[in-house]
Amino acid sequence: MKILLIEDEIELAKSIQNYFTHNSFVCEWVDCKEAAIDKICCYDYDCILLDLMLPDGDGIEILKKLRSLNKTEGVIIISAKNGLDTRIEGFNEGADDFLVKPFHLSELMVRVQALIRRRQFSGISKVVFNEIEIDVFAKSVVVGENEIKLTKKEYALLLFLIANKGRVLSKSAIAEHLSGDMADMLDNFDFIYVHMGRLKSKLKAAGGNDYIKTVHGLGYKWING
Amino acid sequence: MGKELLNKISWVYIGYSVLILLVLAPLFYYVIDEINLEDVEESMILRRDEFVTYNLPEFKVEDIQKWNEFNRDVKIQPGNEVAKDTVFHTYFYDELADENEPYLVLYSPITIEGKEFTYFTRIDLVETPDLVMSFVWLFLLVIVLLLIGLFFITRYLSGRLWQPFFEILKQVEQFELDKTTTLSFPQSTIQEFNQLSRSLEKLINKNTLIYKSQSEFIENAAHELQTPLAIFKAKVEELIQREDVTEGQAKELSILSNNIVRFERLNKNLLLLSRIDNDTFEGKGKIQVNDIIARSIDFFEEQAAVKGIKVSVIGAESCDVMANIDLVEVMLHNLFMNAIRHNILDGDINIHIQSNSITFSNTGHQTPLEQEKLFRRFSKGNPSQKGTGLGLSIVKKIVDQNGWQIDYNYNNCLHAFTIKF
Repeated sequence: MKILLIEDEIELAKSIQNYFTHNSFVCEWVDCKEAAIDKICCYDYDCILLDLMLPDGDGIEILKKLRSLNKTEGVIIISAKNGLDTRIEGFNEGADDFLVKPFHLSELMVRVQALIRRRQFSGISKVVFNEIEIDVFAKSVVVGENEIKLTKKEYALLLFLIANKGRVLSKSAIAEHLSGDMADMLDNFDFIYVHMGRLKSKLKAAGGNDYIKTVHGLGYKWING
Repeated sequence: MGKELLNKISWVYIGYSVLILLVLAPLFYYVIDEINLEDVEESMILRRDEFVTYNLPEFKVEDIQKWNEFNRDVKIQPGNEVAKDTVFHTYFYDELADENEPYLVLYSPITIEGKEFTYFTRIDLVETPDLVMSFVWLFLLVIVLLLIGLFFITRYLSGRLWQPFFEILKQVEQFELDKTTTLSFPQSTIQEFNQLSRSLEKLINKNTLIYKSQSEFIENAAHELQTPLAIFKAKVEELIQREDVTEGQAKELSILSNNIVRFERLNKNLLLLSRIDNDTFEGKGKIQVNDIIARSIDFFEEQAAVKGIKVSVIGAESCDVMANIDLVEVMLHNLFMNAIRHNILDGDINIHIQSNSITFSNTGHQTPLEQEKLFRRFSKGNPSQKGTGLGLSIVKKIVDQNGWQIDYNYNNCLHAFTIKF
């Protein structure tokens, strides 16, 4: 998987690049509009991460350029601007998703993967991890031979964990992923224990291995088989 | 409450007028009396002179008896009683009126046919008590007319002349800095009122400008903070991935991570507050309050369950409001979260929806909250709590902006917030 990161904050770009590289993505990075346009003219990407406020112009223009080139890359806008106008303009110009800074890297990861899945029409609707098979269209989960019934939150949690396999997920990242904007109001993330516990026991009951590891004090981790 | 300015002025005028009238009344009386006396004296002397000029040359001694018979007020008396003209006051008994009447009397020596006689004449004077009484009545009438006149003039003035002033006053009273109401002061023909409205306009415009730039500043600051915050967050997330993190470091990292969340939330709430101030939420529509509660109830029940809190929603009536849906959501969610946050273990939350109000009541601390601090920014009932201290001020702002009303009361160990739409 190859993604293009267009972001002028060096440190943030480095962190994103690191995170994606670690999960076997190829992540190219440019820090201005000009360089970004050069890149998209010459190469194809699976996904583009776009910051709107660039030193040499508005990121929206890159979206327009993509369209004029008839490119079909999925685009996720990552921006500090959160106005409704900005969002609408972004979506109108062909962006697929919008993530407001500051965000969790793990959240960005799961969104990128979901976007890539949606964009590939070649029938890859399945996320497979060892004996666990998730059909993202049917939203069904099979462990070995057994299908298991998950609640909406448990399902989202499972996908989130697998998308970020091998990475430590903080409780706040998990809570935000599960509750969306509502997570802003939470002052403790204790409710995720409940979902985590149920998910664990359902996977176990269906004969799956225990991949969910508690990282003391920090959060959870889906360990690589 | 003081007195009305106009009344105050009127009373001063009236007081002064009455004082002057009272002081001048005796003086008036004295002057009138003097003029009268002088006039009477002059006419007596004139009468004497006429007698001396026209009658005396042909006057005979035998005429005296006849003369005295027909003239009551001019008599010729025998003898030389006075050496020269003498004028004095005296009283004569009036048989007809049965009283003593005051008179001014003139005695003057005359000579008829070589014999010396005394000319006597008198003129009836105004009786002193009569004069005093008429003066008293006259002055009372003046005072009464003054009072009545001033009363009506005051009423007319306060009604008409002061009308622009009261119009200005009304507008200023209703004006609120954080609301986007525009003031239009009336043009008046009175210079002072125009000056007043000009100064007020200037003052208000300047303050509105300052207020706006301040809330813009908050918005910009919150925005600018987002990028460094994003880097901070990403770096912490990277750090926790490291395999060589010790348990102690993990603890510190988790504290860092929690505080980033807090920081982020504060920033978001500040942004929200200033955006409500700047009226960025425009689109209004018909919203069902019941729907919003129904849609979010799962989320909140989940949160409540962690503390063993029971949530019950009562309300068969549907509650419709016209407002911006995002803001109504923020408002209701904040109140809901508040009821969970400040609750006790195994407590209760009741949400009561009526056709034009919603009440969140919850168990919690056994003491009522301080009313005036409730909606103030960053005032927390319990400093150890993790809330941003902005939740209720956001709620209040949304309530105010929509012209609704929020009340807090503490009853039967329940803290209740009611919004009346």
